[in-house]
Amino acid sequence: MLESLDPRVNRLGLPDSFGSPFGSSSLDQFETYEAFVMTKPGKPFEHVGIVHAPNEEMAWLFSKEQYTRRGMIYCALCVIKTENVKVSAVTDNDLDVYTTIEGEYSGQEKDSFEVFHLIKRGKQHKHSGSVMAADFEDAMRSANQSIERPKTVYNVWIAKTEDIFSSDEEDADIWDTLKEKKYRDAIDYKAADKIKAFKEEQA
Amino acid sequence: MNVEALKDLLYKMADDQLVLGHRNSEWTGFGPLLEEDIAFSSMAQDKVGQSWQLYKILNELGENDPDTVAFMRNADQFHNCQFVELPNGEYDFSLIRHFLFDTAELLRFQFLSESSFEPLALLAKKIKGETKYHSMHANIWVKQLGSATEESVSRLQTSLNEALPYALGIFEESKFEDDLITSGIFKGEAVLKEAWMGEITKILNKSSLSLPDLTSIEPITGGRNGIHSEHLQPMLDEMSEVFKVDPTAEW
Repeated sequence: MLESLDPRVNRLGLPDSFGSPFGSSSLDQFETYEAFVMTKPGKPFEHVGIVHAPNEEMAWLFSKEQYTRRGMIYCALCVIKTENVKVSAVTDNDLDVYTTIEGEYSGQEKDSFEVFHLIKRGKQHKHSGSVMAADFEDAMRSANQSIERPKTVYNVWIAKTEDIFSSDEEDADIWDTLKEKKYRDAIDYKAADKIKAFKEEQA
Repeated sequence: MNVEALKDLLYKMADDQLVLGHRNSEWTGFGPLLEEDIAFSSMAQDKVGQSWQLYKILNELGENDPDTVAFMRNADQFHNCQFVELPNGEYDFSLIRHFLFDTAELLRFQFLSESSFEPLALLAKKIKGETKYHSMHANIWVKQLGSATEESVSRLQTSLNEALPYALGIFEESKFEDDLITSGIFKGEAVLKEAWMGEITKILNKSSLSLPDLTSIEPITGGRNGIHSEHLQPMLDEMSEVFKVDPTAEW
């Protein structure tokens, strides 16, 4: 194994020569979860980022701290384990990713799936609808039929509804914090006039 | 309405929030991981904000202004329970204190949202989101570390055992207990303690931690009457250091 002075590099267990397989020992880090927030009731969940966590409840907590701020600009937060999010192909040049899929929707309603669309490169995936289907590929075909697409979709994420860990509707008030906290705002320290007056006094 | 009884209640609550808020703020920059650093810091600010609101109510009842009350009193004039003034220790102790205290805090404000004293009922409703999240945060961590590894479980258990005599001191009764209950201001410490035991038991049962028999523990009291450990005065000195340079300064 390649040795480095940086412990973070050593932890990766890099093989000695290029091209040889990585060691089988698992990485010393938590699994990743994708975090999504809802900013207003009725608005879709939007992807905000990733957290490392030992389980979904902790992932939810870390996401709350990392991706939401106080004030009623959020009303719900959910996380999905990254490995449970299936990602479609990526298209560009105004080519809708749904035009690249093959096969017909089975019509089966085995599982419920949530569908997230990327409609602008560099922006975040947004929740676009739910479908019933047999599996992930089937869910993609079902979404193609049933979810309206006013704009070109470049990439699709699909997750099983049961794999989503979300805050309860009644807990939206955890973002409704006390407004009177002026001492939190650095903007409140308006000292320019006082400094000017002090300098004039000293001169 | 007995104003003395009301002030007694407000002072002990405000002092609890201020002192624990300051203790929690000492985690800023030292949290065991970034998210916890942020969480403890922002919960600290919530608590200081809540203490300010309570001092403002006291001010309307004729007490000094909030800054003077917060920064110019000595330890023996503070009515917080001794639990909140203890040093942070390791994260395990801070987490257990956060869990035990904030469960009581949530329940106390839930009771107070039905208080006959309107300003307090209004405040309790305004901060219900903050107190709910504090408790939620503590519960998730206790469930996690209380069942994660042998080390995390044993460290939390040790801290729990050490913290409980102090935690029971939260519910030290005042001489105004009956006044508060009969006037419908507050249901009283005994009722609060019962509800608290139910809640902490519920969460601890979801972990590998065990709750010792609380009836066999002698509560550490005195804080409500100005009797404190040696840790409070140095903390107050540090907290008020800047303010005392020039108490008349406008910020």
